[in-house]
Amino acid sequence: MSKALVCPCEDVTVDDVEGAIAKGFRDVESIKRYTGFGTGICQGKSCLTTVAQLLARTPGVSPEAVLPFTPRPPLQPTELSVLASLDVDETEAPLGGVPLSAGPAPDALRSKEPIPARADVVIIGGGVMGLALAHNLAKRGCTDVVVLEKGYLCAGASGRNGGGVRMQWGTEANIELAKRSVELMKQFAGEMGINIWLRQGGYLFLAKSAAIAERLERNAQLHNRHGVRTEILAPDAARDLVPELTLKNVLLAAYHPEDGVIFPWPFMWGYAQAAEKRGVRVETFTEVTGLVTSSGLVREVQTDRGTISAKTVVLAAGAWSPKVAELAGVELPNQPHRHEILSTEPLKPFLGPLVSVLDTGLYFSQSMRGEIVGGMGDPREPVALEQGSTLRFLARFGRALTEQLPILGKVKVLRQWAGCYDVTPDNNPILGRTPGLENLLQMSGFVGHGFMMAPAVAERMAEWMVSGQDDELFNRFNLSRFSGGTLEREDMIIG
Amino acid sequence: MRRLVPVPAERAITLDFEGVPVPAQEGEPVAVSLLAAGHSVLARSVKYHRPRGAFCLSAGCSQCLMRVDGTPNLFSCRVPARGGMRLQRQNSYPSAKVDVFSAIDWLFPSGLDHHAMFAGVPVADRVMAKVARHLAGLGLLPDEVAPTRAQPEFLTTEVAIAGGGAAGFAAAEALGAAGVPFVLLEREEALGGRWRLGAPEAGTPATLLLPQGSGTVRLLTTVLGLFTGAQGRFLAAVSSGPEGPRLMLVRSRRFLLALGGHAPLLPFEDNDLPGIFSGRAVSDLVRRRGVLVGDAPAVVGHGPELPALVTLLEEAGARPALVLDTSSSPAKGAMAGKLLKAHGRTWVQALSVELVRGRKKVACDAVVLSVPPAPAYEVARHAGARVVFHPELGVFVVEADAEGRTRAEGVFVAGNALGGTTAARAAESGRRAAAALIREVRP
Repeated sequence: MSKALVCPCEDVTVDDVEGAIAKGFRDVESIKRYTGFGTGICQGKSCLTTVAQLLARTPGVSPEAVLPFTPRPPLQPTELSVLASLDVDETEAPLGGVPLSAGPAPDALRSKEPIPARADVVIIGGGVMGLALAHNLAKRGCTDVVVLEKGYLCAGASGRNGGGVRMQWGTEANIELAKRSVELMKQFAGEMGINIWLRQGGYLFLAKSAAIAERLERNAQLHNRHGVRTEILAPDAARDLVPELTLKNVLLAAYHPEDGVIFPWPFMWGYAQAAEKRGVRVETFTEVTGLVTSSGLVREVQTDRGTISAKTVVLAAGAWSPKVAELAGVELPNQPHRHEILSTEPLKPFLGPLVSVLDTGLYFSQSMRGEIVGGMGDPREPVALEQGSTLRFLARFGRALTEQLPILGKVKVLRQWAGCYDVTPDNNPILGRTPGLENLLQMSGFVGHGFMMAPAVAERMAEWMVSGQDDELFNRFNLSRFSGGTLEREDMIIG
Repeated sequence: MRRLVPVPAERAITLDFEGVPVPAQEGEPVAVSLLAAGHSVLARSVKYHRPRGAFCLSAGCSQCLMRVDGTPNLFSCRVPARGGMRLQRQNSYPSAKVDVFSAIDWLFPSGLDHHAMFAGVPVADRVMAKVARHLAGLGLLPDEVAPTRAQPEFLTTEVAIAGGGAAGFAAAEALGAAGVPFVLLEREEALGGRWRLGAPEAGTPATLLLPQGSGTVRLLTTVLGLFTGAQGRFLAAVSSGPEGPRLMLVRSRRFLLALGGHAPLLPFEDNDLPGIFSGRAVSDLVRRRGVLVGDAPAVVGHGPELPALVTLLEEAGARPALVLDTSSSPAKGAMAGKLLKAHGRTWVQALSVELVRGRKKVACDAVVLSVPPAPAYEVARHAGARVVFHPELGVFVVEADAEGRTRAEGVFVAGNALGGTTAARAAESGRRAAAALIREVRP
């Protein structure tokens, strides 16, 4: 049947790209994510020019607003085994990362429309937290909401994570939140009209040390008490799930079949579209430059497009939250840590669960499209808002992955990228009121798992904000906990 | 598609194409062997299972991906033929020639919106998710575990040059003459780029060999990116040799990026049909492989390479069925018009175009799209160079001054990165960048 292709790798047509532009996606990064063009084997080599030309001829789009999507190394598909041949000095910290910044985003990407002068709620951060909160507020009748996002939707950690969703946690609070999130994810497509491709292939945690083995066993008991049917498996039983796995030095595994993976990006579009339909304003390419406070309240949010006076301000900027909080003189204990990740060529389905080695922070899964998507924490990673990619990561991950799943040695890496974990001292989020600034609400510190918690957390937070009724979650995870008392530490963090 | 030069007996081998023997010339890309033997469909596309052949022949599209000797998703345009090699097409059932899943293409004539499809329809969405998973993906897992790879090679130099086409070659020549050490990485088996493989242009140097002792040249070495690390910046690359692929790191403080460009696919209906090639692929086939894509090809495009390519094809014995210039100022001998639609089932048989007089359908046995390449800006962008859209050229170019200096310290670009141009101008930009680099190294 007749079709004009833009991206033959992913079978994206001219109609698809024009449809995305008509839907309001006016930057190449967003068109890439919405249509999937440029995400295949050629990584944009044969298609990017056509998309740029289609966008450039759109009324209201200036040539300065037509920018290429960030090119991700490697330039050509590269075998994991070749990358694994590079020895990495584990005593050194990973330095730098590419692409290096090419300067600030041009004004041409910003909306020419004035920003609202006032709003009941201003949410800083258009990641999954902020957008899910906006949607949940609007659903409860609170529609005078403005979401401020400094990039495009999906630019931050919400668009950069591996899409893992699990109920295997180390604390009651997180188990219950994750259970509710999975329930909400199952309803997402019905409510929002957009697929998120939840695939419940399970999470398989491998333990290579006695300490981790003990942790998995202890947590499995906790899961079972909360109705999460995590099983402890002997290595042979783990091999039954993934026959290609090498289980050398593996003591035991924890497996929960109802964990899984989702496709992260549609959450942002789904929440944003649903919120906008109810009157919420989602302002992309709009950066917060100042917070004006007086008498214990935040009065105004200053942006590079003007100032908004707000009754309530929510800080949901992920790893950037401490920087934004500083504008109001608030010190947050969160620290940004880069986590690198990559994606391979698409293979026919063979890998059911997401596999993770808690000892090393290695994790990998197979996406709905067939790519192996995985990453590995680097213990030497310095504290920094760094989102560049390194060859060191390709080498470390390549070696770890091919040791665990040797048959992937000839499988090729298509692209690598990185995002920032928003790490707190006890690996738990910071939620609720800010001591000293009553109307500044915190919604950050999710340590790399905010994505999967967002549907449930946003629901609870919106209900708490609108109803005014007490909810223990916002006391338990309040910022004030760091000034005294004992902290309940989450110990099921990958990486 | 036919061979202009018969395969010499001493290099004649046979490939195993899904059980069918295919005669080939040792060392040529297996995609070329298959095309020359009359096999048109090399792959099926990922979503609609559309038939695909080779398009760019330079690892810049996905149309020729095959399983070779048990390794999935290889660019068959880059795999050198060896006797007995097993070639298999992927993503089709029962065969790539007759693929039942190509029904998807017909069932969804205006495309498949994966965002909205069955979204929230009870049961249907779950069934769809299962079906979609099994339809997704391309190749099966490799047959074998990879052998242990050679240790990476580390080089350090004054100037690291990526790409040995006209721009990179000219720069290397100038640096060599000035005695500035450099390392030049080139993907092909020889230097020269389009001087050697493109439609012949005036001003091609008599020799495409650099003088002895002027820097280090690494052929068959593909650049992966420009990275930063504890010891500074470096180009990462993979060299291919008899022992298999090997990682290479070239450390330097100065980089000249002259990686040429990619063949863009022009948007028209059924532009992905086998038998549609980029202009650079077609000149490469004639000049390096001794293969002619068609006796009556339709040659379409714009820019300086279009008339040169027509000449090359005519000299090789082709009678173009159509020469169409899509720009506002058509080249001499070309008709003005627009591309509309390609016709054919598993190989292009005709091309519909919009001429001044109206729509016309022209029978042809190949379609050649000759337009200036889309600049390879990626590695410059890794390094922090700014990349902007050039409205007149309709491509992204790397922002640089007259000497090719980008905003990234020590990073220069030359040739196509600045926008498609002639080989002579590309070489000139390489020499200008080299002059600036020489001044920086030897102030």
